[in-house]
Amino acid sequence: MEVNTITRILDTTLVVVFTWIAYKTGSMIYKYTPYSYPNARIRAMEARLFTGQRFDELAESKTLNNFVMNLEDSDYKPYLDKLSIYTAETIEGAFDEALADTYSLMFKILPKRVSLFFRLLLEEWDVRNVVAIVKAKLYGEVARDYIAELGTMVDKIKAMAEAKTMEEILVILEGTEYEETYHKLLLKEITLEEFETELYRMHYAKLLRYARSRKDEERKILEEFVKLKIDRINLMTILRAKLHKLEADKIRPFLIPGGSLNQRTLNILIHVEDLSMALAELDSTRYGEIAREVREELEKGNLDAFNRALERFTRRKIKELTRFYPLSVAVPLNYILAKESEIRKLKAIAKLIEDRIKPEDIKAIVGELP
Amino acid sequence: MDPIVYVALGMVLAAGIAGVASSFGVGIAGAAAAGAVAEDEKNFKNALILEGLPMTQSIYGLITLFLIAMVSGILAGGFRFADATQENIIKSVILLGAGLTVGLTGLSAIPQGIIASASIGAVAKNPKTFTQGVIFAAMAETMAIFGLVGALILIVTGVGF
Repeated sequence: MEVNTITRILDTTLVVVFTWIAYKTGSMIYKYTPYSYPNARIRAMEARLFTGQRFDELAESKTLNNFVMNLEDSDYKPYLDKLSIYTAETIEGAFDEALADTYSLMFKILPKRVSLFFRLLLEEWDVRNVVAIVKAKLYGEVARDYIAELGTMVDKIKAMAEAKTMEEILVILEGTEYEETYHKLLLKEITLEEFETELYRMHYAKLLRYARSRKDEERKILEEFVKLKIDRINLMTILRAKLHKLEADKIRPFLIPGGSLNQRTLNILIHVEDLSMALAELDSTRYGEIAREVREELEKGNLDAFNRALERFTRRKIKELTRFYPLSVAVPLNYILAKESEIRKLKAIAKLIEDRIKPEDIKAIVGELP
Repeated sequence: MDPIVYVALGMVLAAGIAGVASSFGVGIAGAAAAGAVAEDEKNFKNALILEGLPMTQSIYGLITLFLIAMVSGILAGGFRFADATQENIIKSVILLGAGLTVGLTGLSAIPQGIIASASIGAVAKNPKTFTQGVIFAAMAETMAIFGLVGALILIVTGVGF
């Protein structure tokens, strides 16, 4: 072979090899680098999450003043310092603010290609608040007691809670995505239950759309997260309906599409005669394990046990994803779930201390919370 | 191409690719270190050690650059393979191969940076995982060491001092 031929082969090989290496290296850097800073920061924040022992210590607080003092060395200090009086309600408000800031932090530090998801997650609190206010107003209760100062439209939510008429709420909701559905409710075209389902349906459809517009493992993780949430709502709806022996036709309109349970399984579940049969049907799905775990409680009519088990299942699944993908969106999702759980427990402790419940009972109640 | 181009490419690619890879690796781990320290200053020492691991590949690249320059006579002010004879081209290509081996295996600095970044996160959450984190990150180093050893064998047996 001539020298020229050899050098030509070598040159071509070099070009091909380098193009391939540059492409592979570039995609590796694009995939992982943006998660480097936020995930290490979030892991460090995870180290400060409360342990069971810390909750037990907090449960020992004799008064809300002691409870707040016990939180002096925690991340909640700046929020609690703003309070002039300590009541369960004001402390809950401080915790809500801390949670809202956690969502904002995620939105700020995560790569742009996934950060919007956390803004969308925050909108779930808008849905919860709107539904809570409308329910409270319709049942003649004080709406303010049922809202969390969290979400993307806190001012509107507060104004809605103070609204004197249902029509006033429509004016406040003008221009939001909830306006049309609320209008239908006012015109009695839909029931309150249908209104609630419709808001959640819209919200989860938006989350799923966003998750499906992502790529590779980001899509996989976000989709799994949303599907777990949808499954949880659907399963709770079906089991609650079965407990009250509702017909399939009455359950179907309240199901949210897009979960990991396929249409066939959902159809079977809504058509079975009672709760025991629904549980037997769940046995062959990914939720079989938790259905077996809380079967006894469920058959006694305790749906809370199943709800807690579903929450634990969701957290376990997302935690598993953080192990498979340590530099991915799974880490912030796992943190948000853990933080929500922590705040739920802290709120419960504050309320129970205010109600003068014994520390042993507080520990038992809080220990059961997911 | 002339033999000098292959030899120069060998030197440039060894030090260049390994250097670029190291800087990416350190960059990725450094961002994680900044994140961990932002939440707790106590993470600094552990994060610094893990962050420094992907730097070694650039040292291997530099060693190879000097070796190639030495055996080809560039370091001494001349060039041993100036004539484009078949033997000189083969020797120049061997030196290019040696440089390329170190440069390409030096790319392990990038995944090493990714591992170090994940380890910094793990150590920030649980400081007891520091040793394991260092071991995981050091595993990626193996490829770079193999590359350096391979390049040394190529240079010594293929070209000679």
